[in-house]
Amino acid sequence: MVHAVQVVPPTRRRRALGAHLGLASALGFLAPALLIFGVFVLYPMVTAFSYSLFSWSGTARGGFAGLANFVSLFTQEPYATEVPRAFGHNLLIFVGTVIGQNTIGLALAHALHHTTRGRRLFQTLYAMPYLVSPVVIGYLWTLLLSPTFGPVNKVLEAIGLGQLAVPWLGNPDTALWVVVLVAVWQWIGFPVLLYGAALGGVPPELTEAASLDGAGGWRRFRHITLPLITPAITTVTVLGFIAAMESFALPYAIGGSSGTPAGATDVLSLVFYRTAFESGDSNGIGLSSALATCLFVFIFGVAVLATRLMRKREESLT
Amino acid sequence: MNRRHLLATAGLGLAAGALSACAPSSSSPAPGGSGGTTLTVWSWRPEDKDAYATFFQKYQDSHPGITVAFQTFKNTEYPQVLTTGLTGSNGPDIAQVQAYGKLQPYVDGGNLLPLDGEIAGLDKIDKAALAGATGRKDGKTYGVPFAVQTIQMFYNKALFAKHNLTAPTTWDEFIAVNDALLAAKITPIAVGGKDAWTLPVVHEALGSAVYGGIPFRDEVVAGKTDFTDPRFVASVQVLTDLQKYLPANVVGVSYTEAQSLFLAGQAAMFPGGSFEFGFFTSQNADLELGVFQVPPAPGAASSTALTPGYADGSWAINQATAHRAEALELLTWMASPEYGQLFADALGQMSPIEGVAPSQPLVAEMAKNYAEHPSRYLLLTDFRWGSPLGTDVMGNKLQELFLGKINATGVAEGVQKGIATWFTPSK
Repeated sequence: MVHAVQVVPPTRRRRALGAHLGLASALGFLAPALLIFGVFVLYPMVTAFSYSLFSWSGTARGGFAGLANFVSLFTQEPYATEVPRAFGHNLLIFVGTVIGQNTIGLALAHALHHTTRGRRLFQTLYAMPYLVSPVVIGYLWTLLLSPTFGPVNKVLEAIGLGQLAVPWLGNPDTALWVVVLVAVWQWIGFPVLLYGAALGGVPPELTEAASLDGAGGWRRFRHITLPLITPAITTVTVLGFIAAMESFALPYAIGGSSGTPAGATDVLSLVFYRTAFESGDSNGIGLSSALATCLFVFIFGVAVLATRLMRKREESLT
Repeated sequence: MNRRHLLATAGLGLAAGALSACAPSSSSPAPGGSGGTTLTVWSWRPEDKDAYATFFQKYQDSHPGITVAFQTFKNTEYPQVLTTGLTGSNGPDIAQVQAYGKLQPYVDGGNLLPLDGEIAGLDKIDKAALAGATGRKDGKTYGVPFAVQTIQMFYNKALFAKHNLTAPTTWDEFIAVNDALLAAKITPIAVGGKDAWTLPVVHEALGSAVYGGIPFRDEVVAGKTDFTDPRFVASVQVLTDLQKYLPANVVGVSYTEAQSLFLAGQAAMFPGGSFEFGFFTSQNADLELGVFQVPPAPGAASSTALTPGYADGSWAINQATAHRAEALELLTWMASPEYGQLFADALGQMSPIEGVAPSQPLVAEMAKNYAEHPSRYLLLTDFRWGSPLGTDVMGNKLQELFLGKINATGVAEGVQKGIATWFTPSK
């Protein structure tokens, strides 16, 4: 990609485009996509933002409330307790999944890169859970980890590890980490594929030259492979961040809308869901829209910032 | 069929679909005759569609010119669909609406028609159920309740008989039953604490007599006491005392697992709502199901066992309906014993309408218990008007109780603290 930009400078490309395609025809081609984007993405987002600025009584819009809904999110119970707690859980999910995906995912991709037999098979196998809905995955894991009927604890007991047969999803100290592990397990196919492609793009002559110069396996990885696959790490991390901040289906399937046990698996999307659809608060629309706006601004801001910083780092590494 | 044909057919199909979607539904001629009125009724019960079709057929037979178009939606999507329908222009004439706190957004939004003085027979409907269809601020009635749910203990009669046990009538007998089952390696009481919403139901089944039911409710609503009252703390303490009779690691056990334990005969009792009856009988027709009210624990505020009740929801009229008179007439019929009996017979549920007798013996028994010793599912009927919902706080706090993180006083204080953020006692 970097090379392509160097070959065709942006200014020349824009002029070339203009020469072949008038503005009207360009807009004509863009119109369907713009229309769909506008109706299904932009309009709801702007509406949600505008909703957050009003007070609501049920479905009827009340007066202009300014930032009152945003203030309520951080001062009014139960939100003042639930929002920071849920935010903390989102961050833990992010840290856990990113560490898991960037270590296990990279290790698996690296191992597959150096094997020829069965590579396709394993890539497919790793990607399989990724193709199943998180709701189904979450439900399956609740069955597997059930303290009454679940096979996981039965197996642990059978092999003499009875002290590890804890109520995984019933204990607040383990429940969130189960969510993290299941998320890592489910999405591991994605970093494996991405890192597989990135590793395939590392020119073999570079590593060969380095090994001729006497560089060992770790030094070759650290100083050649790693810098060259940093763009893939950026992608995995940023997408992992967005997924962790937005995560809903998996925590919902595992802990229900209240984030059981005792709020240990509560995340921001669940707080939003409860406020918007399950609360008795007649200002539910205003508060939930405010929460959605905050969440969007935070995810967008961090994602942009992270991409910028990591791109800089990539440049310094290459 | 080649590719071009396929595309052409698909295009035609799409166009036809789009055209039919644009056509207003009311313009389709009513089968009841020319110039007839079509009343659109929305519901969240697709599983009951056939039953409702027969009810409304009966109504149509006696009301020529009226056609009832009954439309159902998936229950999880229904609130959003209804909100859109009631605030937009293509809403129903009559809608099934949820009860208590979940009714209020529509009342506050001015979307529903007040029914006081418009419908004969409203005074013949169960008060707890009617409270679920009442506007919190104006005290007006906005719906005709369709069912009453009661909370009690279900038990496996065959399993009891096998161990020479009978339904207990005193607390000591209740404890003896639990001990005997525990000794026989059977889980005495199936509870799915992982699903927090079930725990306030369990608390009502085991502890309503301990806090005393309606007298306590009246005091707490009037602000004469609050949830830190020793009676309420004692009712929560009952759950701690009984924890050894629940499945191990109860907070890790889900609601469906608890149901499975009971259905498979691995657990002997199940504290739950009357709505479980239909599910239990459909899953295991051979299950010999019985019910009893849990006897009051020592020191209980009520000397008799109680059966708490509440309403699921009601039928309400869209404020924007073009057929107000016809809708009121249909709703008057739906508040009559004739309709109530049809409903009770076909769906095996309790009708809130006076004079309707359930046809299923077990439902009749639950209804009798409720009629003789009524109570209310307090946190649902009176404390679901703000955020956090009373039932949500109670569910989360009871999980903490079972996890050993807090005691009964901690639960009571937590509930009071949560509710105090929005609840102000009525004068």
